Amino acid sequence: MSLRDWPIKQKLTAMLVLISGLVLLLTSAAFAGYQYWSLRQATRDALAVRGRIIAANSTASLAFANVADAREILSALRADRHVVAAVLYDKGGHVFAGYPTGVAGADLPAVPGPDGYRFERGLLIGFQPVEESGSQRLGTLYLASDLGAIYDTFRLSGVIGLAVMAVALLAAYLLSMVLQGAISEPILALAETAKAVSTRQDYSVRASKVGADELGALTDAFNQMLGRIEDQKNELQRYAAELEQRVEERTHELQERNESLRRNAAELLAANTELDAFAYSVSHDLRAPLRSIDGFSQILLEDYAGKLDEAGQESLHRVRAASQRMGTLIDDLLKLARVTRAEIRTEDVDLSVMARDIVADLERATPERQVEFAIAPGLSARGDARLLRVALDNLLRNSWKYTAKQPQPRVQFASVEANGGRAFMVRDNGAGFDMKYADKLFGVFQRLHSAADFEGTGIGLATVRRIITRHGGRIWAEGAVDQGATFYFTL
Amino acid sequence: MALLRVTTALLLVCAARLGAQTGKASEAQVKAVFLFNFAQFVDWPADAVPDSQAPLVIGILGGDPFGDLLDATVRGEHRGARPFVVHRYQRLEDITRCDILFISRSVADQPDEVLTRLKNRPILTVSDADQFAERGGMIRFVTDRSRIRLQINQEAAEAAHLTISSKLLRVAEVVTPTGR
Repeated sequence: MSLRDWPIKQKLTAMLVLISGLVLLLTSAAFAGYQYWSLRQATRDALAVRGRIIAANSTASLAFANVADAREILSALRADRHVVAAVLYDKGGHVFAGYPTGVAGADLPAVPGPDGYRFERGLLIGFQPVEESGSQRLGTLYLASDLGAIYDTFRLSGVIGLAVMAVALLAAYLLSMVLQGAISEPILALAETAKAVSTRQDYSVRASKVGADELGALTDAFNQMLGRIEDQKNELQRYAAELEQRVEERTHELQERNESLRRNAAELLAANTELDAFAYSVSHDLRAPLRSIDGFSQILLEDYAGKLDEAGQESLHRVRAASQRMGTLIDDLLKLARVTRAEIRTEDVDLSVMARDIVADLERATPERQVEFAIAPGLSARGDARLLRVALDNLLRNSWKYTAKQPQPRVQFASVEANGGRAFMVRDNGAGFDMKYADKLFGVFQRLHSAADFEGTGIGLATVRRIITRHGGRIWAEGAVDQGATFYFTL
Repeated sequence: MALLRVTTALLLVCAARLGAQTGKASEAQVKAVFLFNFAQFVDWPADAVPDSQAPLVIGILGGDPFGDLLDATVRGEHRGARPFVVHRYQRLEDITRCDILFISRSVADQPDEVLTRLKNRPILTVSDADQFAERGGMIRFVTDRSRIRLQINQEAAEAAHLTISSKLLRVAEVVTPTGR
């Protein structure tokens, strides 16, 4: 586990123990260094004192060549087990007496070195001049001491230092265990609270504040945040509930409305169907008596012409003309009713081809009229070919009819951009109409021109509109009197 | 065992050196050095020293056994600010001011007279004559198996108000005068 993943308690404890340990270590090191240095000084000073005493005592021995006395004096060094060797040199630098009796080792200098005390090759050695009352040098004293005294003391302080360090570290550890709580407890409490909040989604819990320090401020801020979140959550819940209720109400309302609409539509459909059926049967039933009227009028004209005068014959002709017109009317009404009732079979339809076909029919029926047709190629749409033919036939036939008094009649079939989409257009330069009656154009039996000027039943454009509407399209017209008319439709 | 052997060897070396030194340097040489060294371990009464720079006189009464050895030993030496000088006397009367007096064996044959005449004078009397210390002399050189030992009559020195260092006493044999 890496250090950053340690629990905060352990981190704090480790930090405190580490710091204490480092401080202890540095202090101990400094103290040990100082102690080592001062121990060396002290040992050297002690040996120097010893050397001066022995030198002072051995002046006479040297002055008067008393080796036995010199040995006796040197043998007093037995009391110090660290003094490993001592030698007295006479004035000429020759060995005069040694300690221990007969000095061991090749380390012993054969001649005295320079005066003074120093550390050499793991030993403390000293050359002490032997003088009487400072006037005359009688010889030199050599002393060699091992560093056992230093090491003994050093070892003892090392052991004591280690013990103290162990105790201090233990104390630091125990103290840090207690003290780290001051920092870690509030953090842990916060973490615990945060965990409770995130796992249980419970925003009503609050972290307990321990002190007024930064952690206290953090706890306060955390609690405030929790409070705000709780408030917002409650508000949200209220909104959600309200919204749900409103949606439910609306849905209910809509359902009711839908229900009534469906009922209305069904009623309307029923009424429409009934009406269409009625219109169909009426028209159908009207034909039989009309055929009788026409038929018997013909019989009268053919079989009884001799018995009728001129006026009588004229009246019978009018009866026949009227009944024929009525027949046309009934046919148109039947056509309209059929359009309403027919089912739509959608397929691709080439309107250009269809328009040329219709124009050819017209030209064949009345070859004496010269009308210029401009039919744009490649106009296609999706729809019911039979119904679209009825609509297109009505529109073109209309233009044909209303251009009859125009010296240079012209009819155009094309597509244009209108209201962001594509619309088909049939335009002529015929009689036109007044725009204020534009909304009456497509009504059944609504006519803007007298039958004397232009014959018609007033059902054609109504049929066209019904077909376009049934295809989901729209139809409208623009025009002015004697300026021609333009019909637009979309599919 | 090894230590003992080494120790013995070293002892032998030391002894040989000492022997060589004393032997070669001769008795006279050693005695000359001792005479000179006495000055370090003896204090004279204050009224016996005229001033702090007065020469410290080593006298030789009678025949001189040292030749120029004693002169060589003290040449250039001082005790404090006092330079050493060597004076030779034939007769006792010649001695005016002297600090250390070596009395030769020839004179010391009748030492009693000499010693009586020198008694209580602040002069350190030294000789190698037999029974010198017992007879009232202060220091006697005793030649013992080619080594020179010292005999000191402390009473005589004290009578002359001379103070002999305890260190000197320690390396010497203290004797008391006979017949008293």
